[in-house]
Amino acid sequence: MDNSTSEMAEKLVRYIDGELTSAEKENLEQQLASDKMLQNKLDSLKSTIKAIKLYGLKSKVSAIHHPMMEEMQAPVRKINPTRKIVRYSLGVAASLILLAGCYIAYNFLTLSPDKVFASRYQSYELVTVRDGNTNETPVEKAYLEKNYKEVLRIHDAGEDHTPKGEFLCGAAALEVKDNSKAIKCFNEVLDANKQNPKPVLNDEAEYYLSLGYIRNKDYDYALPLLTKIQNDPNHIYNKKITDKLIRQVKILKRR
Amino acid sequence: MEVIRNFPDSELVANLRFGLRMDETIRAIYRSHFDSLIWYVMNNSGSRQDAEDVFQEVVVAFIDLVQKDKFRGESTVKTFLFSLNRFIWLNELKRRGRALVREEQYEKGQEKVELDTGQLIADREGKAEVVRLVGELGETCRKILLMFYYEDLSMKEILETMHYENEQVVRNKKYKCLKQLEQMVNTNPALKQTLKNLLHG
Repeated sequence: MDNSTSEMAEKLVRYIDGELTSAEKENLEQQLASDKMLQNKLDSLKSTIKAIKLYGLKSKVSAIHHPMMEEMQAPVRKINPTRKIVRYSLGVAASLILLAGCYIAYNFLTLSPDKVFASRYQSYELVTVRDGNTNETPVEKAYLEKNYKEVLRIHDAGEDHTPKGEFLCGAAALEVKDNSKAIKCFNEVLDANKQNPKPVLNDEAEYYLSLGYIRNKDYDYALPLLTKIQNDPNHIYNKKITDKLIRQVKILKRR
Repeated sequence: MEVIRNFPDSELVANLRFGLRMDETIRAIYRSHFDSLIWYVMNNSGSRQDAEDVFQEVVVAFIDLVQKDKFRGESTVKTFLFSLNRFIWLNELKRRGRALVREEQYEKGQEKVELDTGQLIADREGKAEVVRLVGELGETCRKILLMFYYEDLSMKEILETMHYENEQVVRNKKYKCLKQLEQMVNTNPALKQTLKNLLHG
C-alpha cells in the first residue's frame, strides 16, 4: 500500500481518533514500526492536532480572562471626564452646603441677646448747638460728658422729666446695662409723645427701646416694635431693621 | 448563578487534568492568584496591561503542563504559578531587549531552589505563532476541529450544531480541515519543529 495516498492518511486520522477496529489498529501499528515515513506522517498529524488543542486552550482562557479582568478591576473603574467634573462639582457643592450648615449651626448655637444687641447698638450721640446763647441742661451736660450715672441720678431726683430728659435717661441706662430702667424711660418718651402734637425723639426712643427689649429678653415686646419700624419707610431707623435682625430675634424667642 | 469558591490545590489540579468544570476552575485561579502575582510584573518595569497579559499566559502554560502531567505537586500551585509568572515576564523583558541586570542576578540566585519552569515552557514565541496560524484557518474548519479535538464532542453532537446532512459529511469535512491545517503547518519548518517539541516535550 502506498503510504502517501489519502486513504492511508485518512486511516492515520481514524487511528488517532480511536476509530479503527482492533485488527486494523494492530495492522497499522506493525506498518508504523517498520515505515519511518508513515511514522513521520503520523507525527505530522498529531502535531497539527496539538496546535488545535493549544489554540482551544488559549481561546478558553482568553474568553474567561476579559470578564475576570472586569470583575477584578470593578472598584477602580475609570470615569469619563464629564462624570469626573460632575462628581467634582457635586463634591464641592456638598462641601459648601456642609460649610454653610456648620456656619448656620455655629451662629444658631452662639446667638445671644447681647450679641444681637451689640450688632445693632450704637451709643446715642447728643447733638448740641454751641452758639453761646443756648444753655445745656444739667442732664445734657452729664450725658455729653458720658457721665451716665449722673444722668440717671438727675432723672431719679426728678429734676428733668422732659421727653428729652426721659430719652437721655433711657440712653444712659442702656450704656450702664440697666435694661429695665432704659425700657421704662423710653416708654415714658413714647407715652408723652402720644399727647404731643410735635413728638420729641420718637423714632430714636422706639429704636433704642426695641434694643432694650432684646437685651432684656422681652422678645414679645421687641418683635412688634421692630416690625413697625421696618414697615415704616419714613422711620429714621428703618434701614437698621433688617430681615436678618428680625429672624435672629425670632430664633432667640423660640429658644 | 455561580457559587464563588476556592479549590484546594489537589481538586484544582484534578479538574484541570481531566477537564472537569474548567471555566469555574480557571476563574478560581484568577480569584486566588491574580492579585498576588501581578505585583511582580508591575514592580519590574511592567504595566498593569503587561501583568494581565502575562497572567493569562501563565494560566495557559499551567493548564498545558498539568494536562501533560508535568506538574506533580512538588510545590504548591501558588509557588508554581509564581515561577511561571517570573519566567514568562523575564523572558518577555529579554524579548523586548531591556532585561534588568538586577533581575537576571536574582534569577541566577534562585536557580537552584526554583523549579525549572523555563524548560517546561520553552518557545513562547513558537506557541504564539501556532495560535496565530490556527486563527488563520477558516471559521467553519476551526470550529469543527476545536469541537472534535479540544471539546471532545462526538460527530453526532457536532452535527447538531453545524447543520450538515449527516455524520459522514461532518467526518469528511473534519478530515479536509485537518489536512488543510497540516499543510499550513508544514509550510513553516520552524513552526513544525515547535509543534514536534510540544508533542514530545
